[in-house]
Amino acid sequence: MKPSRSAGIQSFLNAVGRVFAVFFRQGRKARRTRFFFLFSFLPVAVSLVIKFNQFFSEKPGQESGYLFTNLIMLFYLQMIILILSLFYGTSVCSEEVEGKTLPYLVTRPVPKPAVVLGKYLAYTAVMIWMVTLGLVLSFAVLNLDRLLDPSLYGLLGRYLGVLILGLIAYGAFFTFLGSFLKRSIFFGLLFSFGWENVIQYFPGSTQRLAIAHYLKSFLPPASPGRFSFLTFRLEQSRPGIALLMLLLITAAFLALACLAFSIKEYNLED
Amino acid sequence: MSAVIETLKLSKWYGNVLGLSDVSLEIAPGVTGLLGPNGAGKSTFLKLITGQIKPSIGSVRIFDQKIKNNQALFSRIGFCPEHDSFYEDMTGWVFLTSLLKLQGFSSPEIESRAAKALDIVELTADQDRLIRAYSRGMRQRLKFAQAIAHEPDIIILDEPLSGLDPLGKRKLIRLIKSYRDEGKTVIVSSHVLPEIEALTRTIILIHQGKVFAKGDIHYIRDLIETHPHMVAVSCSDPRGLAGQLLGEEFVLKVHFGADGRSFLVETDNRDKFFGRLLSLIVKSRVEVEEITSPDDNLQAVFDYLVGK
Repeated sequence: MKPSRSAGIQSFLNAVGRVFAVFFRQGRKARRTRFFFLFSFLPVAVSLVIKFNQFFSEKPGQESGYLFTNLIMLFYLQMIILILSLFYGTSVCSEEVEGKTLPYLVTRPVPKPAVVLGKYLAYTAVMIWMVTLGLVLSFAVLNLDRLLDPSLYGLLGRYLGVLILGLIAYGAFFTFLGSFLKRSIFFGLLFSFGWENVIQYFPGSTQRLAIAHYLKSFLPPASPGRFSFLTFRLEQSRPGIALLMLLLITAAFLALACLAFSIKEYNLED
Repeated sequence: MSAVIETLKLSKWYGNVLGLSDVSLEIAPGVTGLLGPNGAGKSTFLKLITGQIKPSIGSVRIFDQKIKNNQALFSRIGFCPEHDSFYEDMTGWVFLTSLLKLQGFSSPEIESRAAKALDIVELTADQDRLIRAYSRGMRQRLKFAQAIAHEPDIIILDEPLSGLDPLGKRKLIRLIKSYRDEGKTVIVSSHVLPEIEALTRTIILIHQGKVFAKGDIHYIRDLIETHPHMVAVSCSDPRGLAGQLLGEEFVLKVHFGADGRSFLVETDNRDKFFGRLLSLIVKSRVEVEEITSPDDNLQAVFDYLVGK
């Protein structure tokens, strides 16, 4: 007797949950996580240097909000989340192939798409944990003297949301690259620091071909008369459209990754 | 006995390269040895019957069910891969419990099954060490443990004895035989004839992607017996020793080495030859440096069988 549709979905979600549990633990304990944890804390170190400089310098410093947007967020949005999602996203499939551990997963009662989704969710959770900690600390250091101002936390939530959406969307794209291409890191770097960093500054609708465009559409507009790297040449999309596009990008690339992982026969030979 | 695994005209190409060709087999409970030289297609066959790759032509049925997208069937199969590959950042315990979690067991069941499997392979004392710190033999045993931890009905082992010391091999052979006694179906691949011989009498000979022979191991033994054997002897007096052997009917040819310290004998009865050689060595007190059988390996037997 065939299982009902809802039982099938339930069983699939259970499988995703089991894969998530295994790889969330493994992701947290992995040696590379220690390295990337330190890497994602670079903005905290920068924030500390700025704060010390402001404290000991006699000159009045830039205001904290401006520094946060133009330095810390720039660092996170255009470098850290790209690097993190590139390495974690591509590794969802490629680490099993390169490490020749794939047979341990595909000979279990777990559908192949559940392996991809479970690992993707686990690694995304690890990345979100790293980025959240770093961002909150950087924010707190730079706004040390205004921590009781409730309006600040709305801004922090907005910035954090943008980064989380970035990790989700970029992670899905890189998961697809890792499932499909052998030299996924190389092509991922080309995409991250080539395509994304160039296309987003193109005028008109061309910039809508970059994931970064939709992420930046959630950022508050720059104050009049002040230059902002993040919103430079940005022709914002409406937040609803931006969110929909990011969700569509995520769903599409995850579906493609699941398909590639299910169909492709990976060569584990030396 | 009814077949547990059935393959029908199973073929696999990797692009233009033939991996396996037209393999129709029925494998019953007990231990079946899959024997063939490196690159013969053994791993391809095992990957096909475990659903890791799809056949180009033909089909696989396990317990009379198709393997493709049949997740329930994977609960009944334990697979030990050939590669020495692990999640190196895990401990032996975490590795086993993680894979048992993927099987869908509850937490108490995971713990009891992992503990039992580690006990079977004698890794309990090392269960909390990182896998990267394990010796080759320990890694091999851990790989075996993950294949048996969920107590499957079918255990498929790809070169499980490689990397094990003689004692480890003996223990694993005893263990595999115990699964046979429990009525499980065990398939063991190897390119080393004595390993398979120690495990089972039921063998499948595979060569260049084709099943060359299947059945009782006596069959291959007979083939080997009728195949002239080469034995190389290095000693202090090769001409004297060879001269005494030449009169024996089971000695077909003798070649002397250019170094003046060795000779190569071709014989059609290895057992008789070695018996006579040893008695002559003792009697004539010749100092022997080395006795080797340059063609006493599977590749040589296959070369002979395919008429090379």
